[in-house]
Amino acid sequence: MAVYRRESRRRPILVMVIITSLALISLDTGGNGIISSVRHSARDLIAPVQGVVDDAFHPIENVFDGVSKYDQVRDENARLQARINELEKDLNAERALGQQVTELERLLDLPNIEDATGVVARVIGSSAGNFERTLTLNKGTDKGIIVGMPIVVGDGLVGKITDASKTRSTVTLIDSPDVGVGVRTEKTGTQAITLGRYGDNLLKLGFLSNPRADISEGELVFTAGVDGAAYPADLPVGHVVKIDRNRGELDPDIYVEPVVDFDNLVFVKALRWPPHTETTEGK
Amino acid sequence: MRWLRYFLVVVSLVVLQTALFPDLRVFGAVPDLLLVATIAVGYERGPEAGAVFGFVGGLAIDCFLSSPLGVSALAFALVGYGVGVFQSGLLRSSRWIAPVLGGIGGLVGGALWVVIAALAGQDDLITGYSARIVVVAAIYDALLALLIFPFVHWACGNHDLARR
Repeated sequence: MAVYRRESRRRPILVMVIITSLALISLDTGGNGIISSVRHSARDLIAPVQGVVDDAFHPIENVFDGVSKYDQVRDENARLQARINELEKDLNAERALGQQVTELERLLDLPNIEDATGVVARVIGSSAGNFERTLTLNKGTDKGIIVGMPIVVGDGLVGKITDASKTRSTVTLIDSPDVGVGVRTEKTGTQAITLGRYGDNLLKLGFLSNPRADISEGELVFTAGVDGAAYPADLPVGHVVKIDRNRGELDPDIYVEPVVDFDNLVFVKALRWPPHTETTEGK
Repeated sequence: MRWLRYFLVVVSLVVLQTALFPDLRVFGAVPDLLLVATIAVGYERGPEAGAVFGFVGGLAIDCFLSSPLGVSALAFALVGYGVGVFQSGLLRSSRWIAPVLGGIGGLVGGALWVVIAALAGQDDLITGYSARIVVVAAIYDALLALLIFPFVHWACGNHDLARR
């Protein structure tokens, strides 16, 4: 009898939990505002405690990084030094071309990156889960950050704001499968969209405007910035590292390595894009 | 009083999961602290408690993830319930029970999470990379179970009367 009562009490609890979970998943997938509010409240509530814990454990994190990433850092340093030498050769030629483009854009009254103001924020964490490519910033809607803002650093494009509470915001990185960026190649101007993949920091170029274009390894890729685009034009995204031209396939498989090192970001800038975009700062 | 201790477990593990462990990745994986705590609760107090704690703990960590709210809640609740159902047949005196349960539960919970998230729309997750991450995270869970199980044991208080 006792066993029967126990068994019969267990199942309703389990069924209730399953139904509630499925309901929440459906509501959140459909974009329910109440669930977003609950999320934002939880993040804002725990933010001060997270800050204290992060500061307290920072030395441990540094030791862990030093031990686990030494070889990686050394190889990356050598690769970057070689890349710097290569890029310095191209810089002078690019400067002259850049001046002409700026003059043309001014004439056509196109918004460009210099027109875009923004909010500088500090990166205070990365994803708490195993299957996301996100960063957490220490500013939110109370400092003018809104969903959709592109995020940049000096090297190039980082990602975009995909969630923002009052004091915290979430950046989804461009190598996440959830983010696609409209880009163009440096030499041929071929337009494409970047596709991120789980477990791979390389971006794949899809939907090429000209599959037969002569794209070469090492070529830089910039944001295309076409009309109504989510990102301003001419932001560096990455450079081509691998091209597979399979026989019988219309589009070659082109892989781009991002210029930004997403694992070592400290400060980023959230751009007000397009430049006339109103924000909720101070509201 | 026990509910207050459970609340403390959930809050402290959420803070550690979001503030500390993202910077302590091993081969790209972080442990699932709330999942390990759910396994511990299921082991200590049975299936109902395991399911409810898993639901609450999963919801708490879902607030800090980009995946749909409820994915972790469902995965953790199912694992907590499963551990609770089988706990009567488990050895209680073995000191290895924590890492063994933490590892196996972490593996099952991680796989469940991937399947549920894929069904909720993130079908890009079904890859070899995800399988590798789930395995590494499960090993990480097994190691941390040695610390989390005693913490949960304290939170459960005098649970001997509740044992079957």
